[in-house]
Amino acid sequence: MDAVYIAGLGIAFLSVIVAFYAILREQDDLHRILLTDLAEILALVLIALVATDLAEALILPGLVVGISELMAISEVFLVKESLSRPRYSPLSIEVMDSAPAIMSLALVLYGIVLSGFSGGALAGVGAIFYFMCRGHDERFAVIETASGYAWALWIFAFFIFMVLPEYWLFGVMTAGGAILLKVTGKMSLVGTMRGGHNE
Amino acid sequence: MNAEFILGLAVLAIGVLAVAFPRDRSYLTRLINLEIPAFGLLLIMLSFDEMLALLTFIAVTGISTFVLVRILERRGPV
Repeated sequence: MDAVYIAGLGIAFLSVIVAFYAILREQDDLHRILLTDLAEILALVLIALVATDLAEALILPGLVVGISELMAISEVFLVKESLSRPRYSPLSIEVMDSAPAIMSLALVLYGIVLSGFSGGALAGVGAIFYFMCRGHDERFAVIETASGYAWALWIFAFFIFMVLPEYWLFGVMTAGGAILLKVTGKMSLVGTMRGGHNE
Repeated sequence: MNAEFILGLAVLAIGVLAVAFPRDRSYLTRLINLEIPAFGLLLIMLSFDEMLALLTFIAVTGISTFVLVRILERRGPV
């Protein structure tokens, strides 16, 4: 096992070298962005090779930072190349008008029955599918307000943990709800990338 | 565990070469080839029982493909 593991580390490092060599040789900006995604995958491989619970704890923030970085870089690229609008009308898929309500209801109900992490993931997919199929105009002021209150709630939950540790369940639920609110705000920002307006 | 680990490493190495030096140097080829090292990473995560990381990676890959396709769509195929 040990020899295999060492070989795995070696292959991972070799792949990192190959990927960065390719980035160095690349002239085109969009190709570079695609290769950045490759570099992110290889960084995650190095973290995954830690192979304990620590790896899971490190991969999750790594993924979140990676996706936000990719979104920021893509926005910068679009502004730099002045590609602000699609040149043709966007794809219209009929299923996205008729199906969302019943599909997401089924997914959320099944997720609640399953329970646990997989149930939560399923219910979350149902909710995301529903909101992705809705329109994509957004009032940014509301998102900012909700985000601010969520942040304050989160800090408040930590004070509960420190000052009144016997009410830990209340603290956990407050912190969880606040994080949910914040993540929801971020996801609705993803929705406005399809060209929504600030109402 | 070992078989998945070795298979994952092989797929990863092949995928990195396929993305770094694709035969047909177009954006779409590179984007599709990116799935190969991602699959290798998934196999490596599977071999170490990293379930949370695996599920989150699948979800985030969906979003990042969406972001990249959005750029390609506006840039036009070259």
